[in-house]
Amino acid sequence: MNKNKSFTDKMHFWGSVWSISALAVLYCVPLIFSLYYNVFPQFSVLLKALAAVIPIYWGTAIVEVITYTPMLGAGGTYLSFVTGNIANLKLPCAMNAMNRADVKATSEEGEVISTIAIGASAITTTVIIAVGVLAFLPVIPYITAEGSVIKPAFEFVIPALFGALGASYFAKYWKLSILPILIGVIVYIFVPSLPVGTMLFVTIVVSLLGALGMYKLKWIKE
Amino acid sequence: MDFKTSPLMYILAAGVIVFVIVQSVFFIVKAWKRGRELGIESEKMKQTVISSVLFTIAPAISILATVLALASALGIVLPWIRLSVIGNLAYETVAAESALSALGSSLANEVTDKQQFSTIAWTMTIGSCFPLVLLPIFCKRIHKAMNKVTSKSATANALGGILGTAAFLGIVAAFISRSIAGVPSDGPAAGVMSVATLLSSMIFTIALDWLCRKKGVKKLEPFVLPIAMFGAMGIAVLLTQILPPEIAGLTWR
Repeated sequence: MNKNKSFTDKMHFWGSVWSISALAVLYCVPLIFSLYYNVFPQFSVLLKALAAVIPIYWGTAIVEVITYTPMLGAGGTYLSFVTGNIANLKLPCAMNAMNRADVKATSEEGEVISTIAIGASAITTTVIIAVGVLAFLPVIPYITAEGSVIKPAFEFVIPALFGALGASYFAKYWKLSILPILIGVIVYIFVPSLPVGTMLFVTIVVSLLGALGMYKLKWIKE
Repeated sequence: MDFKTSPLMYILAAGVIVFVIVQSVFFIVKAWKRGRELGIESEKMKQTVISSVLFTIAPAISILATVLALASALGIVLPWIRLSVIGNLAYETVAAESALSALGSSLANEVTDKQQFSTIAWTMTIGSCFPLVLLPIFCKRIHKAMNKVTSKSATANALGGILGTAAFLGIVAAFISRSIAGVPSDGPAAGVMSVATLLSSMIFTIALDWLCRKKGVKKLEPFVLPIAMFGAMGIAVLLTQILPPEIAGLTWR
């Protein structure tokens, strides 16, 4: 490869190579299963199932790529989209790492720290799921079963995670934080079971518009 | 032998897992080398790894729990593969449900027919892989466009930074407001426990941050978030034990 290419360009090149390889690996799962047992889905049935799934998922995919890509840096983006759980794990993990290391998301230092954080997080998740499935399979139902003493700990992972993450951000950016939380709560009061994927879109847009407005009114500087 | 947990399925799972790990190591090594060139101390990068691993443990265990939720109908291996790459519970459940409803069945029953199983696997894969098609085409362009805008002037750069933070705060706000007033699809509705957990993790973070900044306990910095998180989860366990059930179980949605 050309040595003069910037680090980010190289990341994009390798990211594309890995994304295409990931696609191949993913498709191998149903393909090998179908070939091995010689059972392919009926085309009409598959089409019917996909007709229900594709409009939602592919639409979400477009929104997610546009929203998360600018926040994750090049390496982090390619890694995150292969392993998933972006909004509830990879992105908070990267933002926390950059915040603690005191580097800007838009700088090359930010790119380095966010890639390392997301890579470490992806490996940890994969290993925990694998070890959990293989070694603790008989025990897990007891941990998460109704009446288990530590069940509440895992029922409230999300408030624990976002409370901790939110606190350090709210202290720094309280002006930016009030509006999206307020709107989020109001929307939930009227539509309590709104899927969080839809809510994300609402609060992100509100937060961006609010920030833009406050910037124009000179309420916030850098 | 149950085809859902046959050696073939385990081999496929192993392949996917090795792929994910090799890819992550590849990117970490590239970033690490670049970090050294940029003069970032190794200590800082090591702390990033430790902090991210600790941060990930609890959410990963809750992902593991969702693998189990799908295991009764689909066997353990397919949900395991799907939740290791791209998937999340809502996503995979909807895909499996749509496939089964097209076949006139539902997830309430164990899938015993190979063709049904293969239809589910194909639906999950085709439904979820679209971002991987989009990225090679658009990722670089999005980053280039962003750099172009933010490098125009110092004010554009400042505004870019603010909007990046605002977008992230939007994500945080969605999950926090759900803990205050929402009904998650995969857990208890907002109530005493969700708000108590939220507040305790905030208090832990503020206290730990204070120790780091004011008392100069710099070594604590990478552990603030994981400690606050585990602390708040501990509080959730404790409160469920000591509060009367009618208070601990109180939800307002």
